[in-house]
Amino acid sequence: MTRQKRSRHRLKRTVAPYLYLSPSLVIIGLLMLLPMVAVISYSFQNSAVLRRDPSFAGLKHYQAIFADPVFWASLWHTLYFTCMSVIFHMTIGMIFALMLNSDRINPTLRNILRVLYILPWLFTAVIIAVIWRLLLEPNGVVNSILMQLGIIGSKIEWFSSPETALHAVTFANIWAGYPLFMVSLLAGLQGIPKDFYEAADIDGAKAYQKLIFITIPQLMPIIISISLLDFIWTMQVFPLIWITTGGGPIYSTEVLSTYTYKLAFSSYNLSQASASAVVILLISLGLTLFYIRYQKAR
Amino acid sequence: MAEVILENICKTYGNSFRAIDRLNLSIEDGEFLILVGPSGCGKSTALRMIAGLEDITSGSLRIGGVDVVDMPPKDRDIAMVFQSYALYPHMTVFENIAFSMRLAGKPKAERKKRVDEIAKTLQLTSLLDSKPANLSGGQRQRVAMGRAMVREPAAFLMDEPLSNLDAKLRVQMRAEITSLQKQLGVTTIYVTHDQTEAMTMGDRVAVLKGGVLQQVDTPKRLYESPVNAFVAGFIGSPSMNLFEATLTGDELTAGTFAIRLQDAAFARRPSLKSYAGRKIVFGIRPEHLYDSSLDSGRKYQTLPAKVTSIEELGSEHIVHLNIDAVRVDSGDPDAVKDFGLASNAVAKFEPESAVRSGSEIRLALDDTKLHFFDPETHVAI
Ligand SMILES: Nc1ncnc2c1ncn2[C@@H]1O[C@H](COP(=O)(O)OP(=O)(O)O)[C@@H](O)[C@H]1O
Ligand SMILES: [Mg+2]
Repeated sequence: MTRQKRSRHRLKRTVAPYLYLSPSLVIIGLLMLLPMVAVISYSFQNSAVLRRDPSFAGLKHYQAIFADPVFWASLWHTLYFTCMSVIFHMTIGMIFALMLNSDRINPTLRNILRVLYILPWLFTAVIIAVIWRLLLEPNGVVNSILMQLGIIGSKIEWFSSPETALHAVTFANIWAGYPLFMVSLLAGLQGIPKDFYEAADIDGAKAYQKLIFITIPQLMPIIISISLLDFIWTMQVFPLIWITTGGGPIYSTEVLSTYTYKLAFSSYNLSQASASAVVILLISLGLTLFYIRYQKAR
Repeated sequence: MAEVILENICKTYGNSFRAIDRLNLSIEDGEFLILVGPSGCGKSTALRMIAGLEDITSGSLRIGGVDVVDMPPKDRDIAMVFQSYALYPHMTVFENIAFSMRLAGKPKAERKKRVDEIAKTLQLTSLLDSKPANLSGGQRQRVAMGRAMVREPAAFLMDEPLSNLDAKLRVQMRAEITSLQKQLGVTTIYVTHDQTEAMTMGDRVAVLKGGVLQQVDTPKRLYESPVNAFVAGFIGSPSMNLFEATLTGDELTAGTFAIRLQDAAFARRPSLKSYAGRKIVFGIRPEHLYDSSLDSGRKYQTLPAKVTSIEELGSEHIVHLNIDAVRVDSGDPDAVKDFGLASNAVAKFEPESAVRSGSEIRLALDDTKLHFFDPETHVAI
């Protein structure tokens, strides 16, 4: 080979991968980056979208949002909703996965439980919202059961009283989301070598010691990555809350997503809505970077 | 420290498959017993029953005089080394070795003292803070040993602990484990499918086939007087050559050749006479066959053979031959691979041997080293 030929060959080899990637890069650019850039620029404009030649607004819209007590309430509700959801998704997913993986439960029962436990995953957010609205109606099933058991004295308006609404939507979201953890942890459990437990049996480990010293450390990578993903997704949950409470009553279930939606499509303040969206974007971005860093470190 | 006694131990998997059938073994205090057999013969099952990881279907098991059949593993005072080592990847070497002490709630200082002691014996001191993933195969093996030693158990159980190592390291670890066992003096039951390990490591060797114990004896006695054709074929490498022949007078005839037997052969085996005029199985080890053109082979009687291939190992030649006789299968699945399609016998010649592949030679045979087996039962005569 001549030197010229060789360098051409080398050039081809460096360029080729980018050629193969280019269709997906173009699509990602059009569908993801472009809208993001647009939203960011709207947040710095006066009367964005509504006017043809919007003027530069600086940080005005951000200041307006940060001065709005509803924004801070939404942020707090989002954090509560997300943290509780992730913690309970993890705990419930773990307990169910351990049950499904246990030899002590009879295999037929395990197969039935496997189907039951995964049910919430079959429904879309809209259906889940409708189901829980019906169940938690003042005259619904939940109230009548609780009253019959004597746990509550009078009917509770779960979604319509400010004291219970946030807990109720969080509860519905916990119910809707644990299967991801369950399925991932179950796969993880099945991947733990059996002789780890046998060696521990010989060394005299009790059941809880095996859980603490073997199972949980072995599942840690899964627990961390699924928690981060769940956190990022749950922060952005919209339909469940929108359909059950719409953010009310009196802002008691207002989260960042409903807050932003209302700014945009009830008040038509697209600039402020964009600013609020950018705040959500920044929080998600921070978590995502954390997730990527963690994945790389492994 | 304790003796381990198995009486009529049986194991049935599911409700029909008999993995172990009436196993009787008694392992003395401090003894190194090897349990050997082809893969799938039930060695791991037997060991796991002793450990308590598998239920005993019937029979009795005593460790140190205590009946342990209904005891969970932790109360049996045994330690086990797994084939995979079963080291916890998220713990350091120190934590792995100290694991049982930590479970037992022993104070930190005591743990440290004991682990340091063991690490010193096993030359692991500089590795105590490493994770298993950063260790070599041999080092991991030693950590697994350390974890077993830490509790000073009454007995060690080891399931093919060297099978994940490369050939060279295996030879080295063989010696290390043997000397460690002697030094500690702990009763040890060691499972392997490798007859070389069995022959070189144990005080006694128990040969298992299809869940049934064939013979328990010292390596030397197993080699010299196997109780049946299976043990004869399984012990020794390459395997013993086994052929069909007819005993006529004091001659063994097969195909176109005859081997004359000396009076001593009959004197040592009173029942051999009763096979006169009948079919019989005879066996001869590769190391008792000689090249008749060399000094070592001159004094023996010879028979015709055709050389099919030669493996020159430097210190010896493994010569594959074809002789005019029907080969008998000992029942050892691993033995089949020793024979090519064209050959039915294997001999070990000295490296001076000049035989060439494809040539017809006279094969010398030391008739005092012959073994005889019943053609039906394969039991030694
Ligand atoms: N849990 C089990 N269930 C059913 N059969 C088994 C089980 N474990 C082992 N076996 C069978 O028992 C026989 C002996 O197995 P094993 O003790 O592992 O053999 P070895 O260790 O000698 O290779 C094999 O045929 C194997 O298929
Ligand atoms: Mg085995």
